[in-house]
Amino acid sequence: MTSITKLLMASVAVLIATSAQAANMPKKIGYVTNYATHEWYQNVIKGMKAHAKELGIDIEVQDANLDIAKQVSAAEDFIAKGVDVLILTPVNEEGVVPLLRRAKAAKIPVVLEGNPVKGMTTLVAICDYDTGYNAGVEAGKYAKDKLGGVAKVMNVGLPLLSATVLRSKGFMDGIHTQIASATLVHDLDGGGNPDRALEVSAAALAKNADINIIYGINDSSALGGLQAWKAAGKSQDGLLTVGTGGEGLAFINAIEKEPSYRIEAAMFPEKEGFTAIDAAVKLFNGEAVPEHIVSPTAPILGDSWKAYYDYDGTTRTIKWAAVNALKPPAKCMQTSADLKK
Amino acid sequence: MTEILRTGASGRTSLASLTGSGQGVLGILLVVLCLGISAAAPQFYSEANIIAILRQCALVLIVASGMTMLVIAAEVDLSVGASLAFVGCISMAVLNATGSLTLGVLAALAFASGVGLVNAIVVTLFRVNSLIGTIGTMMLLQGGVYLFTREAVQNHHQLASFTALGAGYAGPVPIPLILAVAIFAVCAVTLRFTTIGRYLYAVGANERAVRLSGIRSARLKLVAFVVTGLCVGVAGLILASLMNAGQPTAGRGFELTVIAAVILGGTSLSGGSGSLIGTLLGVLVLKVIDNGIIILGWNQDLQMVVPGVVIILATYFDLLRSRHHAR
Repeated sequence: MTSITKLLMASVAVLIATSAQAANMPKKIGYVTNYATHEWYQNVIKGMKAHAKELGIDIEVQDANLDIAKQVSAAEDFIAKGVDVLILTPVNEEGVVPLLRRAKAAKIPVVLEGNPVKGMTTLVAICDYDTGYNAGVEAGKYAKDKLGGVAKVMNVGLPLLSATVLRSKGFMDGIHTQIASATLVHDLDGGGNPDRALEVSAAALAKNADINIIYGINDSSALGGLQAWKAAGKSQDGLLTVGTGGEGLAFINAIEKEPSYRIEAAMFPEKEGFTAIDAAVKLFNGEAVPEHIVSPTAPILGDSWKAYYDYDGTTRTIKWAAVNALKPPAKCMQTSADLKK
Repeated sequence: MTEILRTGASGRTSLASLTGSGQGVLGILLVVLCLGISAAAPQFYSEANIIAILRQCALVLIVASGMTMLVIAAEVDLSVGASLAFVGCISMAVLNATGSLTLGVLAALAFASGVGLVNAIVVTLFRVNSLIGTIGTMMLLQGGVYLFTREAVQNHHQLASFTALGAGYAGPVPIPLILAVAIFAVCAVTLRFTTIGRYLYAVGANERAVRLSGIRSARLKLVAFVVTGLCVGVAGLILASLMNAGQPTAGRGFELTVIAAVILGGTSLSGGSGSLIGTLLGVLVLKVIDNGIIILGWNQDLQMVVPGVVIILATYFDLLRSRHHAR
């Protein structure tokens, strides 16, 4: 066989494969996010758009801006337009139940992102407990190695949400696997925002500054705690700060400039968006999908963030090969149902 | 008019008048709170905790100083929280671009006073009620900050002088506290001992009478709005310094804390009466409650509940006292 014939046959094979793939791709996906102004969702959308573009899918995004009525109306518009698949990040878990029924009646598959809803087909979400747990294990190892085996934790948490309670619980359970005597000195409600986290941490540190680990349920909380530590005139020697999320640029800046910020429980929002598109394609093709598709997370230690992201000083770009290589657990170690036990 | 001015100027503080006033009650409440929390948790009166409380008071006190002048003039500004976040982002962006603290500070003050000016124009020129008008500005700023930046503006300049603004000390005293005291003193002197201050009381008490006597009430209100804006500019710089970033999500609910402190301090929302000493006490009471709940290890949800109850009770007792004096 001549090389020209081989080339022709290969080209035909590629064309057949491409057309077959295109035939199984949804043409249009509608995504209604709950709060597009948050860095997490901006990166989820970024991941969705990147993967949709790769697969030749047109994706339209609407923001509910934390308003369930707006979310329902945007989703109904998508159903009326006849999108092939609908992706939702529920503003309110009860509020979107009727929407799922309407979408089912219109034969439009629905992928949920973030939070589970009764009657759902599939959910793409991280395992919050596992995320905290794995970071806790790494924090324990760090404390054994660098902090004399002592772990006194200030948790800048958010008790309002089961997801963030699971992260904090996972962190302490993880740290206990390494240091059985680890103690939770302060368990705070930092409101999930940096100024509140700063304020409550300052008061807690004034009460008792005998801590050596600050854990934040998101990056803002960890940084609020750290800024309170710095504002109290304390040195970062002998301190470990652990953030969660890695949703924006804050954690990169912190790892680069704050000596104590050594661990980030990265949740890769871009990957969550990527996975949601994959789930949408599978549902469109009638494939069986698990009820919970886990999006991977990983504790990032110090400079190893560079393995997952490029950063040019203003924007970060995910390194898909590295993040796609992460293996998510098949099942979460604990979920919100375990908190009720 | 003379009568109005006399009313405004008659607030000279003597021990007798203080104890018979809302401020006296507030002062006693503050002492009781401090003693009670100290008895239950001795860490409360540690040096570290006192500094933490005073630092937390500083931000609120700076903006509350301007807001007191505004409320005395019978106006209010609900955009201060949103403006606070925007100021932080703008100043950090300018600092990153120029590496100059002076330019960063000027940008923050220019932006915040510009917001104050816009509010003043909306209220005095367009005659929009300040409660509604500044809600509009608040929404503009909350949306606008996301047009400006979707992410927190990180500190790339690493200027030590900027970090000192929020986290630095002059001797044992935190720099934000020094700035707060200076601004408080300027506002207090202006309100108590200057013609503008007296006119502000007069505008709040009876704007029509003020206008009939040839004083431009709109111009006085404009001054109060711009001064409040400038105070937000200073507070925004301190907050950005403390957080080491310009955070578009910062300052949510900050306006309510500021207004709560002003009202708790005895300044009437209908204008014409109030004092900065009262505001200072209001700020201290709210922040001591906030701090005390953490020091005592109570459920943090009470940080919203308790000040709410305190404000309702304080306003109610103030109303009773006013009725009693009116008889």
